[in-house]
Amino acid sequence: MVAVTTELREQLRVRRSADTGGQVFRGLLTLALLISFAALVAVILTALTRSWPILSERAIDFLTSSSSQDPTKAGVFQGVQGSVLLAVITGAVAFPVGIGGAIYLEEYAGDTLFSRFLQVVVRNLAGVPSIVYGLLGLAVFVQALGGITGGRSVIAGGLTLACLVLPVVIITTQEAIRAVPSEQRQAGYGIGATHWEVIRSIVLPSAAPGILTGTVLSIARAVGEAAPILVVGAVSGFFQTGNLSFLEQMQSFFTALPMQIFSFTRQPTQTWGAHAAGASVAILLVVIALNSVAIWMRARLDRRLRK
Amino acid sequence: MSLIDSEVGVRPPTDPVASMARPTLGRRGVGAVTEIFLYCLITIAVAIVEFYVGGFEPSNWWIGFAIYALWTLSTARRSTTPSLSVTQLGFVGDDGLPAGIVRSLGRSAIRAGVLYALPLLLFNRNQLLWIGLFVGAGLLIRSMPLGRAPWDLIAGTTMVETYGVETKVTGRALSIDDFKVDGVRKAQNQRARRMLQATGWGAIVVSLLIVWVVFSEAYQFISADEFEWGLLNGEGKRKGWFPRSGLFDIPTLLVGTLWVTGIGMLVAGPVGLGVAIYLSEYAKPRVQRIVKPVIETLASVPSVVIGMFIILVINPGLADYVFDDMNNKFSILGAGIGVGILTIPLVASISEDALRAVPYELRQAAYGLGSRKITVALRVVFPAALSGISAAFIVGISRAIGETMVVAIAAGGSGGTLFGLNPLDPGQTITGAMVSVGVGTDQVAGSGIAFQSLYFLGALLFILTLLLNVVSDAIVRRFRQAY
Repeated sequence: MVAVTTELREQLRVRRSADTGGQVFRGLLTLALLISFAALVAVILTALTRSWPILSERAIDFLTSSSSQDPTKAGVFQGVQGSVLLAVITGAVAFPVGIGGAIYLEEYAGDTLFSRFLQVVVRNLAGVPSIVYGLLGLAVFVQALGGITGGRSVIAGGLTLACLVLPVVIITTQEAIRAVPSEQRQAGYGIGATHWEVIRSIVLPSAAPGILTGTVLSIARAVGEAAPILVVGAVSGFFQTGNLSFLEQMQSFFTALPMQIFSFTRQPTQTWGAHAAGASVAILLVVIALNSVAIWMRARLDRRLRK
Repeated sequence: MSLIDSEVGVRPPTDPVASMARPTLGRRGVGAVTEIFLYCLITIAVAIVEFYVGGFEPSNWWIGFAIYALWTLSTARRSTTPSLSVTQLGFVGDDGLPAGIVRSLGRSAIRAGVLYALPLLLFNRNQLLWIGLFVGAGLLIRSMPLGRAPWDLIAGTTMVETYGVETKVTGRALSIDDFKVDGVRKAQNQRARRMLQATGWGAIVVSLLIVWVVFSEAYQFISADEFEWGLLNGEGKRKGWFPRSGLFDIPTLLVGTLWVTGIGMLVAGPVGLGVAIYLSEYAKPRVQRIVKPVIETLASVPSVVIGMFIILVINPGLADYVFDDMNNKFSILGAGIGVGILTIPLVASISEDALRAVPYELRQAAYGLGSRKITVALRVVFPAALSGISAAFIVGISRAIGETMVVAIAAGGSGGTLFGLNPLDPGQTITGAMVSVGVGTDQVAGSGIAFQSLYFLGALLFILTLLLNVVSDAIVRRFRQAY
């Protein structure tokens, strides 16, 4: 008996060491992993090295100067301003509507024809290419509602991006709400709480980290998007804002960081490559920071759930 | 005396300090500080009234004191209906019995006196230093064991936070009436439901608007006077996509889109699937914790940045070292590679979910038969997850078709492009063509058919991606095995 098992073990060991196919396969998988790592590293390094001529000389100045036709003076301040405003408007519109819609779908809708239709709609909306949202924004927020938004304005852009991230916010919120154990809800009903009280005091606090992770990621996505706001009409060239009031600025020309990267890359001369790379560094910093926050929050959630 | 005469009732704890849960120190501190600032506001209001009305013989100390005492009492007795709020306050005497009205009043009076002295000091001295003192005092008070603030010590009471059903000291058993929803809460519940339903409609409105806008404007393109169906198939002077010259050859764009999507999936398919198999079958948890955030970071890199990377590095590199006859800035090939890089994380994460959904027992069974790791991965797990993986690929294709900025930056052909099959040349995809029309919207808006072609392409794109999504959904639903 003992002899048999040692023999078997010996055989297995021989087979494992002779498993060249397995080794090769493993090597290929590692290669795939390395390729994706290399892509990320190469993108970041390119942005850093190509922007070095600008960032080493005038890093702060580059961030705080307005756009200009003179490469030595041009900066991305208007882009940063536009991106921040876009993110704020997007968040202010998409979060309440998205989270509310998700609560409705998960908590109230039940399994009716209407709710199933809504689910299908949301899932397919998430798959619609971003540039199509740009068409929506152009027709609705720029042309139809131009009186309110001021036409090709940061308000129109923000509303468009809000529509873009809405399905993502709904889906991630739904997943977070679904993860709340039903025992907790039952306990709430058991002590006489109304449906809304259960949602507000039990479901939402419990699902908050998951919801926040999803919303932060969707803001990161909105910040990086260029196609929809390009169609909506972010300015691709140079413009002066002058002395406008806040409301007037919200309703007039705007640009955003990704839009500026796009217009820098379209310049024929090589010098603007550094500007594109510099703006890329700025936007990468923002996006990676938002991403890290989301990853950190999810890690905390995981730890809490494991307890 | 028993507090509650029935076994149904909820008993207040006999030893409140030991048995009551309490909010964290941080929350107590914040609560105390905001409370003190509220008291400051009241003090200021009282002083203003005294200043304008005048003639108050008693100093404002007494008026303020009366207001404070009422305020303290009202917050303490705020809630008698069952509610889930954890901030309900109540007093328990040192004998373990809920404090009666007399003892509660005494406590409130002492507390108001102490608290009122603080804002008064701030008001008289007018020094910001005192704010720090208040914050410190608030933190100190709230960090004392279960609300045993100084005035509690004097009055012999303990403030308790109760959860859920308030302990009603009525001497009768709790009945079903105590749990019944009162009108206010009922109305609140209804209001919340209606509001949430309205937001749910938001999603429907957005989607209906998209469909309506895209297709109605696309219809205007088709029904325009200059339009003939032949235009879409290159029946012009030349075969190509030059909207401003009236050339709308759709095959030109379809070839470009096919190339970009094909090249993109050649990059993203194997790499994404490889990453997914590595993560779900090979990686140790520690490795996973490092790899997954990196992949997610790659997913969040904006596509304009990838486009910049392609025209600065990939296209010149390919032209210099690989293909002699390639344009060194713009090419379909480079754009395809960029789209591929962007699609890797999507394919990887959906495939990984599919692989993980395969139950562990299947793997164990295969190992039990003596299978090697590669056999388990490729012949057990992979076939079982095939439906999910094909869905991942289809979603990847849909994403690659819809990817815009990489193509707009790196594929060239921003003004238009001639029909061509060579991926080493600059070219145009559906999305790229939309950008080149869209960038010039200022000039062409309202100027007829060139602008409307934007919506026609949008409709085409919408139908393509919608079809792919529907197919991927159908595959998942049809072939998913329920374990």
